Amino acid sequence: MLSVEALKIRYGEVEAVRRVDLTVGSGEIIALVGANGAGKSSTLGAVAGLVPAASGKVVFDGVDITGLAPEAIARKGVALVPEGRRIFASLTVADNLRLGGAVHQPAAEARLREEEILELFPILRRYHRVKGGNLSGGEQQMLAIARALMGKPRMILLDEPSLGLAPQLIDTVFDLIAELRRKGLTILLVEQNVALALEIADRAVVLANGEVVLSGTAKELASSDLVRQAYLGA
Amino acid sequence: MIAQQIINAVSLGGVYALLALGLAIVFSIVGLINFAHGELMTLSGYALLASLVLGFPFPVAVLVAVSCGALAAVAMERVAFRPMRGASVTSLLLTSFAVSSLLKVVFQNGISARPQAVAMPSWMTGAFSFGDFTIGVGPSISIVVSALALIALEVFLRRSVTGTAMRAAAEDFDVVRLMGIPASRIIATAFLLSGLLAGLAAMLWVAQRASVDPLMGFTPVLKAFIAAVVGGLGSLPGAVAGGFLLGIIEVLLQATLPGAIAPYRDAIVLSGVIAVLLVRPQGLIPAVRAQRS
Repeated sequence: MLSVEALKIRYGEVEAVRRVDLTVGSGEIIALVGANGAGKSSTLGAVAGLVPAASGKVVFDGVDITGLAPEAIARKGVALVPEGRRIFASLTVADNLRLGGAVHQPAAEARLREEEILELFPILRRYHRVKGGNLSGGEQQMLAIARALMGKPRMILLDEPSLGLAPQLIDTVFDLIAELRRKGLTILLVEQNVALALEIADRAVVLANGEVVLSGTAKELASSDLVRQAYLGA
Repeated sequence: MIAQQIINAVSLGGVYALLALGLAIVFSIVGLINFAHGELMTLSGYALLASLVLGFPFPVAVLVAVSCGALAAVAMERVAFRPMRGASVTSLLLTSFAVSSLLKVVFQNGISARPQAVAMPSWMTGAFSFGDFTIGVGPSISIVVSALALIALEVFLRRSVTGTAMRAAAEDFDVVRLMGIPASRIIATAFLLSGLLAGLAAMLWVAQRASVDPLMGFTPVLKAFIAAVVGGLGSLPGAVAGGFLLGIIEVLLQATLPGAIAPYRDAIVLSGVIAVLLVRPQGLIPAVRAQRS
């Protein structure tokens, strides 16, 4: 469904991503793991159109989307849930959700979609009229994911969904990710918590210094010496 | 006398508020302080003059003039600011100075450097009398128009999708784009609204002075800029509060200062602005901006 080919990203003189190749099949969860600064978020940013690629290609559903504006990529059905959630703090939960689904469907359909989303996130129904900035970290993460789902994406890019959350909230978020996958959504997951990522993913790609150092099924990686020593602390 | 002064103060404050709001809307979204905002006002003034000279009925002329302000703002973004998208704040600022100077010269050489009289309908210069009170029609209309414009803008920003997206974009533009909402639509709407507000402000300004000149927009927009900074740059409620505050203080000082000190009115007002910013550097009602890691 998505393929990233020989992606290179530069910020001025700094090469954040040297070469990343990866593919995500329809309905799969692929985890992109690695240390801080390995180039994970930059890779997601390039897929979503927020970060320009210095070279290489991003192909979604057979269409080259490299260099398209973020809004154009979003309209093709790719939704990014950015690192740090970035919900609209001064807008109500209802308005956050409304913007998420605004351009992808007629208004009547968006209301139906909102009902579906609120079934999936009952907590957001309770806080419907509350400003996003007044929610807790976990609730904001739920809102950020819900907002991205409002546009009925076919693929969702999750950037560090566990960051800054209490352990039991992390479980809730990951249960939700598993549920989304059961509903057929394709997911590219960037996660620093490697153990957690490998538990949920089908396949994983390990980045270090902007390059793919290892890839394979989540099971293979979980038992590989490199991953165990470097990321799982075993 | 006091009633008349209060009406004058609120009416001047309303004009400043409309202009400051126009500056704030654009700043909140593209980070540009548009110094050519005053020329939008001037342009609307000339459009009113031209429409009246061409014999359009007064309401039609006003409609034409305000639309001209709005369209000119959109055109200005398209021609001058869009190619500069993503440039530094300084480059944007210089671009707006360039546009402003260019338009001023066009007005001076193309029309005239001298003020042109605008034939306002006679009823606008009249006054209502309630017993001892006399209240000018012009300032009263000005207050009503400002209030209606502020309410309409508020409804637009709260209720419509584009308005909601604009409030969101002021906080985090990239994420609005991630929702599939085109950046150009948001930016064009911001300029359209700022042009509409400048056009309305021009009508109210001309209504009280019955003339148009190439530098007409300079002083009010300078004041509006001060109002926007005092209110909290990029904050829309702040711009409105700053506009009214500045207008009211100016008129009150004008009315109460003894003759010998009156020439120092602006100096006193600006010292007040400095004092406010020393205590509240983010302005009276600071803008909400996303925290970026």
